Amino acid sequence: MVRYDLIIVGAGPAGLSAAIIAAKQGVRTAVFDENERPGGQLFKQIHKFFGSREHRAKVRGFRIGEQLLEEARECGVEVHLNATVMGLYDKKEVLVMADGETHHFKADAIILATGARENFIPFAGWTLPGVMGAGAAQTMVNLHGVQPGSRVLMVGTGNVGLVVSYQLMQAGIQVEALIDAAPRVGGYGVHAAKLARLGVPFYLSHTIVKAEGTDKVTGAVIAQVDEKFQPIPGTEKHFDVDTICMAVGLSPMSELPAMAGCQMEDKGGAVPKVDACGETSIPGIFAAGDAAGIEEASSAMITGQIAGIAAARRLGYVDEEMFEAETDRLRASLQKLHEGMFSPQNRGRNDFTETDEGYPISQSLLHKGYMEDQEITRYPGAVSGKSGVHPVIECSQNIPCDPCQDACKFGCIRVGDEITRLPCVNEEAKCTGCGLCVASCSGQAIFLVDETYDEEHAAVTLPYEFLPYPQAGDKGVALGRDGREVCEAEVVSLKINKAMDQTALLTIKVPREMAMTARFFKKKEA
Amino acid sequence: MRVTEHPILGTYQKGRKVQFTFDGKSMEGYEGEPIAAALRAAGVTTHRYTTKKHEPRGIFCAIGRCTDCVMIVDGRPNIRTCITPLREGMRIQTQYGIEAKEI
Ligand SMILES: Cc1cc2nc3c(=O)[nH]c(=O)nc-3n(C[C@H](O)[C@H](O)[C@H](O)COP(=O)(O)OP(=O)(O)OC[C@H]3O[C@@H](n4cnc5c(N)ncnc54)[C@H](O)[C@@H]3O)c2cc1C
Ligand code: SF4
Ligand code: SF4
Ligand code: FES
Repeated sequence: MVRYDLIIVGAGPAGLSAAIIAAKQGVRTAVFDENERPGGQLFKQIHKFFGSREHRAKVRGFRIGEQLLEEARECGVEVHLNATVMGLYDKKEVLVMADGETHHFKADAIILATGARENFIPFAGWTLPGVMGAGAAQTMVNLHGVQPGSRVLMVGTGNVGLVVSYQLMQAGIQVEALIDAAPRVGGYGVHAAKLARLGVPFYLSHTIVKAEGTDKVTGAVIAQVDEKFQPIPGTEKHFDVDTICMAVGLSPMSELPAMAGCQMEDKGGAVPKVDACGETSIPGIFAAGDAAGIEEASSAMITGQIAGIAAARRLGYVDEEMFEAETDRLRASLQKLHEGMFSPQNRGRNDFTETDEGYPISQSLLHKGYMEDQEITRYPGAVSGKSGVHPVIECSQNIPCDPCQDACKFGCIRVGDEITRLPCVNEEAKCTGCGLCVASCSGQAIFLVDETYDEEHAAVTLPYEFLPYPQAGDKGVALGRDGREVCEAEVVSLKINKAMDQTALLTIKVPREMAMTARFFKKKEA
Repeated sequence: MRVTEHPILGTYQKGRKVQFTFDGKSMEGYEGEPIAAALRAAGVTTHRYTTKKHEPRGIFCAIGRCTDCVMIVDGRPNIRTCITPLREGMRIQTQYGIEAKEI
């Protein structure tokens, strides 16, 4: 039987981060993952991450995956792929299925970083081909380059539903609508706004009634729900879709700790009871990432590192002093992500009416996915009626994120140390119109507005992540935040360089009075 | 349909083009991609029919967890096509219950 110091199950962001920090201390570490490729869910996450620089904010998920793999290779972590861990026993022995055979391995410490599975809700026709998890659709387009369908209904408006819907649109798939039984959008407003300005409608307080079709999905019926979440007869709506995606939550993969006899508890699904370092009730067995409680990839990387350093201490590779210093640093970093209205302790709450600073929260954003025109300048990131180019930041909730502040070398944007604070524009500082803030914003919530572009026109610069790119001189229409056509528009320029990491800056000119309304561009069909 | 050019990912890295058969019909896909991806690109949505009720099933989780996508591959039933790489000349059949043919 092969022995290691540390065995990690799962090569997602949590498992790889744990492996790297432990191996750097000299711990002999092996990671097992059932997939052909490591990275867990990271390689399908093509959006720019939130957080701060220390959380690798504004870097796209799949690039973080590449960085982690490189670091793991450099510090000598053994990654075993196509290797499914079938059993875990309390003597820290694991049973692995690889190449159709079972193998036994033993270690002095184990970290379970097995991630999560998607939840599903049953409804009439839900087993038809064409009904699938949002993560399944994301896997098909982003990993394999195959469209799961051409017209999609998304069920669920949490961050996974919002992010995946946008990514489906980027791959040329039409998302017909997003629905949610809850009365408010569950995920970040900035993610919802990206979809709304493309014209994708939101139906809150709606549920799916049935999938139509005999051999595959040919349509979907939704209906409004009452306070008890029951469909209200007569409110049905039909959509011509060939795909229905469900993004109704994730559940931790917790079979292994249960099998080993770890004490379990219910935290949105069964999870092993863990201490502040992720150690379960069995000394030397740890859990990290989604397997210890559903969050997202940025925090999974930190809980992975905490478990990794704690395992290294247990094995005698780090002394108490270093352990304290490292865990203090990591916990502080995790705490930054855990502030604000979307923090884990506020899960399920959507009754906030004000931000931490006391600004009212846009009800339109929560109900329709976009802010009304007149709401924008309520927030400290937006001013209008200025001459010359200046940023308009449409980021109105306390989300853990601050790349905009880092991006501006001229001091125009300030979030502060508490990264869930709303970004503020400093009117004293002079904006050069460089556009770095627009490209850096993970929420695509920053626009540059020049209300004095010429006698009659304003120029609006917006983040653009679709193909084909419009060209200077192209004529078309500007869309408002609600996706409706608001005026004629002409492309002034399209800029893209390496620093922008695939977020192009599209500048359009529109009638001056549309400066605070025009937020997307659609080219006129020739 | 395949995504040929993506605003973030550019072009996808794919293996060489290979031939395979689906219920006897000749089809094309890329070596190493999941069988399910090649089938979806070729327009196939039903992978199997359930034993008792003969209901169609297709891709559901795409990461090897749900077994909805299992098919008969080179004569072997219950192969999860969403995580099994496509190879030249593979014989892929719709699965009825656990058989290749409807009974
Ligand atoms: C399908 C899906 C899509 C998602 N998309 C997004 C998104 O777009 N944006 C976002 O913010 N969050 C998304 N999430 C949330 C996601 O939970 C986190 O972003 C993050 O990936 C969690 O990291 P992790 O390391 O805990 O787990 P994962 O990244 O899931 O990694 C766990 C790994 O362990 C492997 N594994 C599990 N059990 C075993 C076993 N017994 N033996 C061997 N290997 C095993 C898994 O196959 C996987 O590779 C998604 C989650 C899922 C399930
Ligand atoms: S455009 Fe450049 S100068 Fe102006 S606010 Fe953005 S980063 Fe700062
Ligand atoms: S404006 Fe700043 S805080 Fe808001 S999403 Fe963009 S980068 Fe993050
Ligand atoms: S689709 Fe779930 S196992 Fe293949």
